[in-house]
Amino acid sequence: MSSEKMNGIKFDPREFFLRREVMVIIVILALLTFLYSSRGVNIILTIFIDFAVFAIITMSLNLETGYTGVPQFGRVAAVIIGAFAVGAIPGRIMAAMMGLPSGLEYASDTVNFRLVPEITALLTTSYLYSLLFLLGSLAIAAVCGAGIGWLISRPAIRLKEAYLGISLLAFGDFFMWVGHNWTGLVGGSVPVNVPDPFRIFGGMRFTIIVLVIFVIAFLVFLYLQKLTKSPFGRSLRMIRDNDVSAGAAGKNIVSVRTQSLVIGAAIAALGGGLYVLYVSSVASIGFTRLTFTFWPWAFMMLGGIGSNIGVLLGVFLLSILRTMIVIFRYQWFGFLTVFGIDPLWLEFTLLGAVIIIVILFMPHGLVPEKIEPMLPKSRVRRVLERRQLAKEGAK
Amino acid sequence: MTPWMASGLVYASGLALTAGSITLLYIVTRTFNFAVASMATFGFYVAYTGVAIYGGLPYQYYPLVFLFGSFLGIVCYYGLNRHLLYRQAAEITLMMSTLGYDLVLLSFIQMYADFLTHTYRLFPRRVTMNTYDFELFGERAAAIILPIIAIVFLTALHMFLTKTKFGVAMRATIENPILAGASGINSDKVYLVSWVISGGMASLGGAFMAMAMTGSPTMGMFTIPLMFAGAILGGLTSLYGGILGGFMIGMTEYAGVFYLSQQLGPWVLGYRMGIPLILMAVTLLFFPRGLAGIPLSKYLKSLSGKKRGDGV
Amino acid sequence: MLTVTNLNSGYGKLQVLYDLNIEVPGKGITVIVGPNGAGKTTLMSSIMGIARVTSGEIIYENIPIQGELTHNLAKKGISYVPQMGNVFAELSVMDNLNMAGFLMPRDEVKKKSEQMTEIFPVLKKFIHRDAGTLSGGERRMLAIAMGLMKNPKLMLLDELSTDLAPIIAEKVMMEVARLRDELGITILMVEQMAKRALEIGDNAYLMVSGEVRYSGKADDLLHEPELCSMYLGIKPDSGQIADVAKPSVEGSEE
Repeated sequence: MSSEKMNGIKFDPREFFLRREVMVIIVILALLTFLYSSRGVNIILTIFIDFAVFAIITMSLNLETGYTGVPQFGRVAAVIIGAFAVGAIPGRIMAAMMGLPSGLEYASDTVNFRLVPEITALLTTSYLYSLLFLLGSLAIAAVCGAGIGWLISRPAIRLKEAYLGISLLAFGDFFMWVGHNWTGLVGGSVPVNVPDPFRIFGGMRFTIIVLVIFVIAFLVFLYLQKLTKSPFGRSLRMIRDNDVSAGAAGKNIVSVRTQSLVIGAAIAALGGGLYVLYVSSVASIGFTRLTFTFWPWAFMMLGGIGSNIGVLLGVFLLSILRTMIVIFRYQWFGFLTVFGIDPLWLEFTLLGAVIIIVILFMPHGLVPEKIEPMLPKSRVRRVLERRQLAKEGAK
Repeated sequence: MTPWMASGLVYASGLALTAGSITLLYIVTRTFNFAVASMATFGFYVAYTGVAIYGGLPYQYYPLVFLFGSFLGIVCYYGLNRHLLYRQAAEITLMMSTLGYDLVLLSFIQMYADFLTHTYRLFPRRVTMNTYDFELFGERAAAIILPIIAIVFLTALHMFLTKTKFGVAMRATIENPILAGASGINSDKVYLVSWVISGGMASLGGAFMAMAMTGSPTMGMFTIPLMFAGAILGGLTSLYGGILGGFMIGMTEYAGVFYLSQQLGPWVLGYRMGIPLILMAVTLLFFPRGLAGIPLSKYLKSLSGKKRGDGV
Repeated sequence: MLTVTNLNSGYGKLQVLYDLNIEVPGKGITVIVGPNGAGKTTLMSSIMGIARVTSGEIIYENIPIQGELTHNLAKKGISYVPQMGNVFAELSVMDNLNMAGFLMPRDEVKKKSEQMTEIFPVLKKFIHRDAGTLSGGERRMLAIAMGLMKNPKLMLLDELSTDLAPIIAEKVMMEVARLRDELGITILMVEQMAKRALEIGDNAYLMVSGEVRYSGKADDLLHEPELCSMYLGIKPDSGQIADVAKPSVEGSEE
């Protein structure tokens, strides 16, 4: 490769459009246009929310799996904790401050459905209250997530590869069952309502939510980009690629991995909390391994393990396809109803097929992880220029 | 027998087979088979379809259950696992590939359940297979017949692995694939046979478990952590360890739930799956190699031979 | 009999052998010596289809065999005794021999394994014991017996003498020489005990860092004092060539 190309001075349109990222973006835009023209703007907003929530969760998974090499099959655990924390704690705090019942009875459906509208009513009186409630909820979610990430990492961190994956899967399921059965927390199988900090925007609620979640997803993306390029990120990759030599180089493997799991869990819990605020209720039945562990894995594998941009594109593309199956299922797969089959199950087929196809034909995903220099581009260019000068000088 | 023991025996026999299936496949191909979940569910549905549509006892359909599971295994091997093994894929990739296969199978199961509802007016989403059982010596027949079937099957498997030429060749490949290849043993065939056996075992295990629990399209998905827990408890190094691990997980769950719910009240029932997982976590904490790391395994060893990779 | 031309191979992304050329003539012992990490074992693995061959040709009896699956090479009459893990430790000695004769019909396996227990009486003594319980020397005997089971035309022996007491190693070497002299088997052997191996060998290659540094008659290499002292740790002019062709049946007993 010539140095000109490396410096990005020359722009080659053909090469630009043949780059995989660009091609994927074009496909995404085409699908979005198609959906917009056939179903209107609401479907686009729904896709955006899906995208943003799952982008946060999948990026956290990518931090743990892609950069640290921990096969996180228990992603659902941190998401659940985030969701439950937002469902259980901020509402109770508000209730306590307002002098309403805030103990175990808060979660029982007969009390809850009268309590929550009162709290929401208070929130709609002031933008400040709403904002504080939103930020407080997210902070609580992140803190609880970090705590659970640390707790889970204790017994698991010393295990290896598939062993570790299975243990994490089991822990994830454990939290799932706790959520389904502990009625005092968030109502068990009966959904619990959550005070809605976005109600204050009235008819604009949906759009504002999309914006807020998007902004948070973007901040998470920036943070992770920065984190993975930092010395800490380098240690992560070093440990992922060869933990023995990383240990020999003086890296504390257990501590670095634990940090990564804690950060990842905090981010995933944030995603879970945002999802709950968007739906404005917690139904513990909805938080399954399938939705919050396996889908993010499929997103990540399609996008490219260890590449944040790839993960974003993977989430976007697959979210669209998933929504399209749900929308067009009777139109496209109507023949299945002749046998009494609901075409909705094709969602699982899609998920499984994506995983299989990616593994067989695109092991590195849409946008493979690039082996990038750790320095910013401008400094790389300067170093290269200096080297070029030195070479010419030698001649 | 107390009621919990009868169901516990049935359930634990099923878990023993599925955990054995996971272990067998892992020691031969390094693949953690997620698809065991759907294979088990399919096993249940084959037996259910048999009794619900054609009548008779669930037991008479077990050969068919085994064959169907083997078929699913063969499809997975030729469609997926074989290519990855030749590519020498990482363990996680192998595991993820079976997860993809599992999800595809799960969607087929759901569609099949829809199909049964629509075409035969059945209720395949909440099935109590018990109703098709009969009584034997004042007990549910399943509590006696299923452990016997499991023992006969495992004895046959043991004979196959120790007495036949191909069985010995399988053990040889497990221990030392390179030397086995150099001796002229076709590893491709060994992998295929291990998929056939473990697929059949998984399906059979699922059909067993349905005799003790409510059969539904997601039953495999909900019990797979326990199957894995059994395999991990067994130490993942010997087939017999895995089978024992699965059996112990199943029995602990039933015994634990029974006694704890008597002591603490019925709310324990909701957390029943936590009990075997705690057993697994505690075992791993003290014996990171599972049952194989407990001195007890000395007795196991006399059955199974030494640890993998032992010797020069 | 076996010709390796311009072989490049390695494991994964790591290249170990660079443009290697080896010629193994029929009915003789070809010895490959060299320091650690020279790629001797990788050469064996490449021939047997275990390591990844990126380019080059391996021709066995006029047929290219690179990229062939390992068990098919076994069918063609090549037998391989690896350095590590050369017996099935979990199987009995009997089953080990049976496995080595996996491709042969049942009665022939029986005849052949009886023949092996005659050549190596020590195996007869422990026929029902697990191979993992044998001593190092006994294991090597079993490994050689397993290599011989399928009437090979070509035997690849990887570091037979490693881990063995010097006296036993000497006996193993004697056996190897006898295989050539009595059974007329072509042997390609990699050896750390360079001096002894060169003494019984016909042709020799010295490999360093994945390349051939010397090729020629084995005796001649012994008389290259510089190469010997630099790479093989043999003092120049230290020994006469011993009389090795003397077969010794007792030699295989403990």
